[in-house]
Amino acid sequence: MINLRDHHEKEIKWKNSTLRNVKNQGAKIAGFFALLFMLAVLVSIFGYILHGGASHITLRMFTTYGNTTTGGLLNAIIGTWLLVGMGLLFSVPSGVLGALYNVQSTSSTRIRSVTRLFTDILTSVPSIVIGLFGYLVLVIRFDMGFSLLAGGIALGIMMLPYVMRISEISMKNVPQEQVNNAYALGADRIQVASRIYLPQARAGIISGILLAIGIAAGETAQLLYTAGWNNALPSGFMKSQVAYLTYVVWYGINQPSSYAHELAFASALILIIMVTVLISISKFVGRKRV
Amino acid sequence: MDTKNKIFNSLTMVMSFVPLFILVSIFVFVLYYSFPAIQYMGIRFFTTYLWYPGIESRPPVHVNGVTAPYASSYGLILFLTGTLVSSALAIIIALPLSFFSSIAVELYLPSRMKKVLISIIELFAGIPSVVYGLWGIIVLEPVLFYYIEPWMKDNLSSVPGFAGEIYSGAGILASAIILAIMITPIIVSVMVNSFDTVPVEIKQGIISLGATKWELGKYLITGYSRMSTYGGTLLGLGRALGETMAVLMVSGAVVNVLPSSFYSAINTMAAAVASLLDSAFFDSTGMSIAALSELSLVLMIISLTVNVLGRRIAGRGALRGVELD
Repeated sequence: MINLRDHHEKEIKWKNSTLRNVKNQGAKIAGFFALLFMLAVLVSIFGYILHGGASHITLRMFTTYGNTTTGGLLNAIIGTWLLVGMGLLFSVPSGVLGALYNVQSTSSTRIRSVTRLFTDILTSVPSIVIGLFGYLVLVIRFDMGFSLLAGGIALGIMMLPYVMRISEISMKNVPQEQVNNAYALGADRIQVASRIYLPQARAGIISGILLAIGIAAGETAQLLYTAGWNNALPSGFMKSQVAYLTYVVWYGINQPSSYAHELAFASALILIIMVTVLISISKFVGRKRV
Repeated sequence: MDTKNKIFNSLTMVMSFVPLFILVSIFVFVLYYSFPAIQYMGIRFFTTYLWYPGIESRPPVHVNGVTAPYASSYGLILFLTGTLVSSALAIIIALPLSFFSSIAVELYLPSRMKKVLISIIELFAGIPSVVYGLWGIIVLEPVLFYYIEPWMKDNLSSVPGFAGEIYSGAGILASAIILAIMITPIIVSVMVNSFDTVPVEIKQGIISLGATKWELGKYLITGYSRMSTYGGTLLGLGRALGETMAVLMVSGAVVNVLPSSFYSAINTMAAAVASLLDSAFFDSTGMSIAALSELSLVLMIISLTVNVLGRRIAGRGALRGVELD
């Protein structure tokens, strides 16, 4: 026979068992330490870059061209924006129009789920593989040379999935009744796209584009063998190399000269501010999407 | 539909296929350019760790219908080891960090701090890889070299892998720690998001039955949200496998020397492609570039497989810094 009283006492003991409470407290402390560790790393990264960058950055770096060990950063700053702009030219039309198709098309959802899957997969292609592809195909096969066009397209390949998927998500949030009403009133696809989807999803599309710009501005591996380096500005779209900021960080910190290190820190500072601000604006804009 | 709308429809359709087209062409071209290396090295590509560009002053050799530099050898073992070991260690470091931080954010901290902490953790996603690398060189490497690695050597030398010479802070440990820092925010964000989808009745029910918060957290991670745990881990692993610049800067980027301990310098597949491609331009037979293409091909297959599995299991995609449906 089960002794009920014993059983009951055991249960109470189990409920109040110190071991369980100790474990709970242990997990709490471990959780705080884990969070604290991550925060400490974040503060350390931002702190070292902000401090190292701010103590070395000079106005002259913004006004003169340089070669990663002497001079300034103006060519790298402009080059970064040129490359990102080229990436936008390549990724925005395709991304926004492709997203429109994905929300408007009435054809089989199967095909669209396949293209959507591949769009997601494209974000996980290692950046250096895109870089190698850019070198083999754009630089060599299409004979673009290390250039704005090759580097911009390599960046655009990376930006495209962000633009397309985020645009698509914000277009999906457009109320379906509104779309149906427009069609019922006799609007055609172009009108629905231009008067309903694009204006309604504008905030989301802009948020996706800003995020893509922020991430692209911080990329290096795609550009190493597609953009090269230029001590001045590129003279054309093809066969003229382009300077960019991430190269200064990577190359400068491996140089024995202390001024190269200062340039690397200054570039890292500009990059981290630029990227963080762009991504934060993107989040802020995206929050207001329909 | 009139002609204008038909053109619009076809145009948008073509545009929606661009990512698929790019992905397929990356795969096809990288495969195409690696054929000479596949023919020259055959199965030896997967069995040797030696990577020699060969001797340019001797006449090139002809093997299986392709031309390669004299005495050249291309093998992925060293790079594959580096990629797998650094990513595995990164996961080992990142998992407890992610589990405990996501539980702390979800259960132990007041809910108004949750939003703030999540947006702080999302700041990690905006740090460019080269900046992680820069931080690795100026902060992590000295700390490892002067403090952590000597301590490990003194106290853990009986554990396999922890005995050995310490030459510099760069190496397996530095790479693994940098990767762990890069992927922890990914795993945390996938997990915290999946905790939000757990019905509140379940959470309250478990607590009202007398469970401690830790027991609830354990249940969420290994029970209700376990698919997100696996998926988030795989997405983090996918990021770690393909990471290039940060690892290139702190790994030591060695060639032809297998690691002997956790302090040894290594090289990963992604970092090797980035660091060896410029010298490959000078190979007149083009074999070095073919071999690097084959290396990229293997890297791409591994990394895409892990990412697709992660997306499947987590049930949705997570791009850097954004959550998808």
